Parts: sequence; structure tokens; C-alpha cells
Amino acid sequence: MTHGAISVLEATMPPTLATSLTTPITPPPTDPATERSTAFAAPAAARPRGTRGWLREPLLHFVLLGGLLFAIDHALVGRAGDPMRIVVGAAIDKEARDLFKASRGREPDAGELNALRAVWLDNEVLYREGLALQVDKGDTAIRERVIFKALSVVDANVKLPPFDDPLLRTWFDAHRAKYDEPPRFDFQEAALSGDNGEPTVRAFVDALNAGAPGDAKAGLRVFKGRPHANLVRSYGAEFAAALEQSPPGEWRAQRTRDGWRAMRLDAVTPPRPAAFEAMRGVVLQDWTDATLAEQRSAAVRALTKKYDVRLEAAAK
Amino acid sequence: MRIKFTQREVAVAAIALFGSASFTAAPTLAAAAGKTPGKYVTGDFHNHTTCSDGSISMQKLVKKATDKIDTPWGLDWFVQAGHGGNGNRNCTLVEDATLGTPAYPYTAGAGPTTTWADSIGAAQIKGDNGGVGGNGNMWRWQSIQEFQYPLIEYLAAYKNQPLFIGVESVVAGHEHTSMSVITGQMPLALDSATLPTSAGYTALGNATALAKWEYCFDRADADTSRGNVTGSANGNNWNCSVTGSLNAADPSWNAAAQKLVPASGTGTGTKGHLKTVEAVKWMAENHATGSYYVPAHLERAGPFNPDGNNGFNIEHLRNFNNAAPKIAFGFESQPGHGASANRGEYQVKRNNIGGVLTDSAGGTTYGGTGVYAGQIGGVWDALLGEGRGFWYFASSDWHNRGIFGPDDRRSTQDFYPGEYARDFVMVRNGSDKLRPQAIVDGLRTGNSFTASGQLIDRLAFVACVSYPGFGSRTNAAVEAIAVAAATNNTDIDVAGCATMGEKLVVRPGAEVVVSIVTRDPAGTNYSPYTFANPSLAQIGVSQPMNAPVLDHIDLVRGLVSGYKTPGAADYAGAWPTNTDWLKSDGTTADLSVVPAAAKNTTAAVIKTFSGSGATPWATVNSGVDNTPFLKMTYRIPAVSASQFVRLRGSNLPAAVPFETDASGNPLADVYTNANDPTRLRIPCTAVGTNVPTAGANYTGNTIDGCPVHLPVVGGVKYVAFDVAAWADLWFYSNPIYIEVAGSTAVAGVK
Repeated sequence: MTHGAISVLEATMPPTLATSLTTPITPPPTDPATERSTAFAAPAAARPRGTRGWLREPLLHFVLLGGLLFAIDHALVGRAGDPMRIVVGAAIDKEARDLFKASRGREPDAGELNALRAVWLDNEVLYREGLALQVDKGDTAIRERVIFKALSVVDANVKLPPFDDPLLRTWFDAHRAKYDEPPRFDFQEAALSGDNGEPTVRAFVDALNAGAPGDAKAGLRVFKGRPHANLVRSYGAEFAAALEQSPPGEWRAQRTRDGWRAMRLDAVTPPRPAAFEAMRGVVLQDWTDATLAEQRSAAVRALTKKYDVRLEAAAK
Repeated sequence: MRIKFTQREVAVAAIALFGSASFTAAPTLAAAAGKTPGKYVTGDFHNHTTCSDGSISMQKLVKKATDKIDTPWGLDWFVQAGHGGNGNRNCTLVEDATLGTPAYPYTAGAGPTTTWADSIGAAQIKGDNGGVGGNGNMWRWQSIQEFQYPLIEYLAAYKNQPLFIGVESVVAGHEHTSMSVITGQMPLALDSATLPTSAGYTALGNATALAKWEYCFDRADADTSRGNVTGSANGNNWNCSVTGSLNAADPSWNAAAQKLVPASGTGTGTKGHLKTVEAVKWMAENHATGSYYVPAHLERAGPFNPDGNNGFNIEHLRNFNNAAPKIAFGFESQPGHGASANRGEYQVKRNNIGGVLTDSAGGTTYGGTGVYAGQIGGVWDALLGEGRGFWYFASSDWHNRGIFGPDDRRSTQDFYPGEYARDFVMVRNGSDKLRPQAIVDGLRTGNSFTASGQLIDRLAFVACVSYPGFGSRTNAAVEAIAVAAATNNTDIDVAGCATMGEKLVVRPGAEVVVSIVTRDPAGTNYSPYTFANPSLAQIGVSQPMNAPVLDHIDLVRGLVSGYKTPGAADYAGAWPTNTDWLKSDGTTADLSVVPAAAKNTTAAVIKTFSGSGATPWATVNSGVDNTPFLKMTYRIPAVSASQFVRLRGSNLPAAVPFETDASGNPLADVYTNANDPTRLRIPCTAVGTNVPTAGANYTGNTIDGCPVHLPVVGGVKYVAFDVAAWADLWFYSNPIYIEVAGSTAVAGVK
């Protein structure tokens, strides 16, 4: 067996198998002194020449071990098929017939089938040559497609554990914040264009409270049922606190993170704790998604262990 | 195998029929300017086939883009335009028999990925390096001239559709531009041509002018053959001189090629830009009304790089527009690739410029639009603030569906032409059919608007002057003009009024009455998703993804202060790069960090229309087809300075987390870009019963739960890819100018 053959074997079998096969011919770590003494041991000619001595001959061991590996390699690679062989067989014919029939409404004749086989062969050659040229490397679309298909394989092997209502209820209680209805706020903004300094906004607010319509200037924005988190994200925490404490129905000049605005709180819908019974269907789906996601992540993490992962410093 | 899978090429163009566009003038309209009647018709001029780096044949793309039955988003006109440069695949070969035609039948064993060498034979490939013994690539000039144009001409006649061919040029000194030269294409004789009933077609017209432009000015076309048969003087023998330019006296002139070939390395961007200015000059000299030049996704490649080929700064747009105002009249600041992991393929640290990873200008898109037009007061408003005729366009940039096949309705990369983004262009074809010249004329006028996700499909945007006394106009009078226009899908022709791309000349102190009439189409759009819009779900609104509702319309106004002077301090300036603009938390800086050249701080939303308030927009039923339209009016009081007004609208209200800010401006799209999952923020939680697997070829439109291809982070599925695009819809109008006598002239518009 040549060194090149070993490389092919490594490349064409699962990594674990490749490792187990290559391990026996990997010299074990040796003490340098021992190694040196072995290297300078008395020549074979000085040893007894009997049968038992012959059986201890290292060259014979090497030949036998090499032969064994060659046999295993031949069996495995032989079964896997010649990587340079392309078989255009029944499966390809079926695919070609199906495609043709779908577009033409009839079976292809012999000539057409041969042409379709030729197309498939051309494409297969291009596909293999492309892979050999590594044109798939650096192509994010191909990478994503392969990742997606691999993930589908992972997904096929995850399995939802048994569940019952007590389990779901426990999960629901642990994730209650997701289901409880937060307080929601109805409010309006009477928009100004251009100058939105405090004096201008306050003067406009006075006019609004005196009866001017909300869209007297640049327009009226009406917000319904916005939760606290939305107020904080869009306007800032200071505004959220101020609006939430405003008396409903009164226009006020409110400072937001990007300037003053004329705002009016209309109504507050108090928070409502969610009831498990009403949410059971959603909870079941969420628990299913979360559980499967955990299993999927665990499966990928397990696969990751096969790799020598080195995390380098992030690029600046 | 020594084949190189090179991917650069040009394409074709097309246009779709506009049926019996019988113009019905409303009785209230006085024919003031004698405009040729026309309609707003939809089209796309930037998309790819296998002749460049697309994934399907020309025939399949034309069908997908114009068919109104199998692909219901069928456009009215279509320009097929792939990359300049070269390519090794023959996009004129169809995928299957359903796409075959008598002149271009399906050939078993061949398809659009078949190489030129394997189809026409290497000996037929012309120019440098492609043919026998070469790399098998065909220069785009040859594929346009000899293969793609004849096919598009045949398809135009065979399908009776307005099609023509263009190019997405690989631009010297910059990235890409959508362009075409239509001279020679689709001659009138085609109307009465007898088409062949068997394989083979000889074109009546030609795209030689376009092919020559591509040879002369496309950066990726390195051929030096002058458009000739390899190693001979037989062929086009093109010379790329521009009258009045240095030409042979230019150090970049290549005598053998008879064209400018700027050297690479230091200064290549600057020299390349100068070559491209020559390109638009050539178009103006030779094809003054028969060409256009519209930079594509112009923020994507970052700022201009004097030593490379990256983006466009505002000064380059000014240079092009100064050199050829009737040709370089706009930009695609709304890029295609709307379903990609990095919307529009705009991305943080996308470009290596001088060893520094540099963001696309603006870092990302904003509601699907680049920062140049998406930011009020940004580059577009700066150009409009000069009074230029410089218009906003959108495109599909179709290449492929990402992880899905070309017939799947889901996408992680591109939308088909017309499926998501549509340009609605006023084309004044009178009683004639739609033809390339009328379409290019329409593009040039700026009388157009764009809409994504079929948010609106009709728009009349009208400004009329009103003087005290006899010259006064009521809101109702102007609204009536707009209603008549919108319901008939046409524009206006009334003295004292103007619409998009036009200017209204008024006396100081005049009141300007702005009326808008639009239609939010009933029924569903072309989204395959029926579940509730996750972005709106954040604020408690349940609205099906495929039935968006127009939430509001913003009227944006900016002042016009005249053209900037080349060389002056306020003529040139790059948009701030990297975190100087887009912060790591997804927020942005403000215009204070933008150089004076690239902004117009007078631009602002002066009115937001909605269904709320004391004067909400009103519904009016069309007298034509009884569909409901929305009408609204705003009076700009006592104008004293020249200005422009334009519109934008969205299905998203103000203050939608991770979508819009408190003033309704689109936020950076980084929160829905799957390429950086750490920034994803909008959960997609809809669970459905019809959620096809990724491996299926899904051609329906009833996916009722969050699709399987959305990214999952920490067990939560997030809005991204096509779902992000369908959730976040916008329309943009082109501007109406108001020129006030005694104030700054709006010099760029008649």
C-alpha cells in the first residue's frame, strides 16, 4: 500500500474509521533513548536464523500489516466504487423520464432519452469537476444550502419527548413573561415639521389643548396598544415614564431621545396575567420548538467534538 | 479540466405589451401642454441570465417577468440586462420544451448552462482569448450583437411584448450601472415581420450600438479586438473616440483596441471614472435620446476608491449628470437582491478598500432602500436641491432564488422582475404600442414611482398653483384632477399644474395645492406567505403578510439652491464610512457628520397623511372600475423659494421596533439581515399547517407559518430573507419641482 493510497482511504471514509485504520501504523511515542538503541540494534544477520526468529522479522510484520491494510482498503474502496466511475443507470433514467413527461406530456423516445442521459452525464461531469476545482468553496449560497440539508438530517433524528399538561404548565410558568399581557398604551402625536424645539412644541401643545386638531401641522400619528418596551425603544426611557404618568386626554410637550414632541396619552390597558388553559396550544408549540431546538443544538454540539476547533481572535 | 467558470456578462432587454391603452381624458382636464397620452406601465431593467451570472435562460426570464398568468406579477415592459464583460454559457438555450419556440426550439441535451464552445463551437467565438485554444468565454459585445439581441427581438415579436436588451455595466472606476443604447433595436419593420416556423431567426434590427458601447466602455470587457474575428481585421473595427475628447492623446488610450484602457493600480479609480464620463459623453454624442445610464445598487461597494473600483460618491453622479443630463438621469438607490441574507447585498465591512474593510455606504439598506435616497436630506435630496433631473428607480437584480430552485416562490436571494419591486413609468405611446424609445423617454422624464410588495399600484401626485382671487384653486378642484388621473392610470395635462418629473413655475407668494390620489390594491400581493406580519405583530397589529395595508404617506419637501460648481468645496464628499454612520448597535449618526456636498438639510417631512385626524385621507371609488382610491391634499402656503416635493409611504407606522423610528423613517435593516444573526431582533412565531420543507419545490402562495429557512437563534425563529422584505414595504415617488419666479431656477427640468 502506498502512502497515497492511505490518503485516499482517509478521504473516502468516515473520519472515525479512517482514524482507527491509520492508528496501527502510527509509531507509538517512544523514549528517545530507546528509539536510538532500536535504531542502532545489532543487524538482523547477528540474530538466530530459525523459524521463530524469522517470524519476529520486522520487515515481515510490515509486509503483513501492509497487506492487511491493502485488503481492507480494496474491500472498502471497491464497495464504494471507483470515484472516477460514473454510472448512468435506472435511477437517472427514471428522473429523466419523469422530467420529460412533466414538460412534454409523454414518455421520451429512445433518442430523446439518450439525449437526456447525455445532459445528465454532462452535468455530472461538470458537478464533479467543479467540486474537484473547489468552486463550491467561498460560495455562501452553496454553503448555506449544504448547511440547510445537513440540518434537515439532524432534524430528522431529533425526537420530541413525552409530555403532559403538568410539564407544559411548569414550562409555561417558567416562561410566563412571554405570555402575560403587558400594560398597553394608546397615545397620539401631533407632528410638527422642522423646528421641534421646546418652545415651539409647548406653544403647539397649548393650541392643541385649546381645541386645535391634532393634524393641524404636519399630521397626526395615532398609536394603539403599544407596550412599554416599544415606548422605550422608540422614544427613550424618560419619555416612556413621562407618558405613562400623563393624565389621559391632555396634550403635553414630551422630550424624546430625538427632540420634543406634542403627545397625548389616550388610554391605558392594564396588564393581564395569561391563563395556561387559554394559551395551552401556543405553549405546546413553543415548548415543542424550544425542546427540538435544544436537541438540535445538542446534536450539532456533539458533532463539533469531532473537530479540532481553534477560536482565533476576531478580526478588527 | 481548465475551464474557468467566469461570470461576467451582459444581457437582453424586454418590454411588455400594454394592451389597449385607450386614453380616456377626464372631462375636467383641459389639454394645456398637449402631452401625448400615456399610461403608467411597470417594468424592470436590471436582471441576469446564464449569459452572465444568472441561473436561467433568457426565455425563462422573459416568461417569468412578463407572464401574467403563471407568474402573476408579469410586467408591462422588460429590459434584459446582464453584466458587461464575458461569459461562457449560452443563455439562448432553453431549459425544457415548454420554453421552446419555433425559432429557438428546445434541444435535448442542451440548456442555458451549456457552454458557447459546446453549442456554437469555439471557432465561432470572436475577439481575444475566447475561441479555439482560448478560455471559451464570449465577450458580451458578441453575445449581444449576434445571439442575445436576435433572440430578444424574436421574443418581442413572437410574444408581442415590449422587450429590449441592455447591460448592467461593470463600471470603470466604480461598481455597476444599468444602461442601454436602444438605437437599432426593435425596428418598426418588426411589426409586420413573418416569423420563422422552424429553427433559426435572422434579426431585422440590431443592438450593434449597445454592443459597441459595451466593447468601448465596460471595465470588464478587456477585449482589444475592436469587435473583430479573432486575430483579424474582419468585423466591426470599432473606434471608441468621443468628439472633443483626448482620445488617442489620452495616456490610457490603447491604440490596438482603439479605446481607453486605464492601467490598474494607483489612480485606477480616478482614471476609470474619467473613462466612464467619456462613456456618457459618447452616449450623448451618438445616442442622445436613445440611451440611459443609471448607476445600480450604488451604495453597495462603499465610497469611491481612487485606487480601485468601488462605489459612487455624489460628485460622480454630478459629473455624469453634468456630462449627459438626458442620459445619466437617475440611480437605483433601491437595490435588488431584496431577499438576500444581507438585504440588497449591502453589508457592514463588505469592501476591502486599501486594506481597510469598509461598509457599503450607509452600512446596509433602510427599508430596502440605500442610504443615498433612504435618508431624508441625504444624497438624493442634495441632487434634487440643485434642481437636477435625477430620478429614483428600483430593480430586481434577479440572479437566483438562493437555496431554492427557480420555480419556488420562496427566496433567500432574489425576487423575479416585478414580483417585489416595480417601477411604474409614464410612457407616452399614444395609440401606438409600447416601444423602446417611448419607454426610455418615459424613464428620462422622471414621471415615475416605485413600489415594493404591491403596496400601491396607482398614484397621481399633482401640484397646482393657487393665487388669491380669480386664480384660486380649491382642494376639491385639484383632487378632482388627481382622481381623474389615478383612476385612468395616467397623469395630468392641466395648465398651472405639474406632476412627477415636472416643474411648476409660480409667482412668489403663491399657494401650492398638493393632491395625492393612490390605490392600495385590494386582495393579496405576490407574497407566498399568509401569516400575520411579524414586524407589525410587535405592536399588536395582525395583518396578513400577503395583504399589506398602506399606513401613511409622507410628503417630503426640500429647497432648491442651484447647481454646485465642480471643484468647489461643496461639490464632492463621501458618505461617512463604517461606524461614523452606522453604529454597532444598529443606530445611525445624523446629517451633521455628512459632508455639505452630500446633504440637503432643508429636506423634511412637511405632512404625514393617514386615516387619522380631523382631515384624514378620504376614500373615493373609481368611476372607471369602482375600486377604492385614497385622496388627500395639502396646501403649501405662500412659497417664496424654489423647492421640490416628493412622496414616500409604507405599510409600517412610526415606532415599529427595529423597522421604523419615532418619525416614521426606516431604520437600518441590520435587524433582519441573516448574515449577522447576532443582530436579528424580530421574532417570527406564526405556526401553520402549510409550511413546506426546504427540499420541496413550493410553487403555491399559501404558506401559513414562518417558513423553515428563517434563521433560528437561541430557539427563536427570526424575520429575515424574503420574509423581511415582504414585511417591510415602501413606495417612493419622484419629485415635483416648484420654481418660484425670482428664486433659484430649477435648471435641470424643463
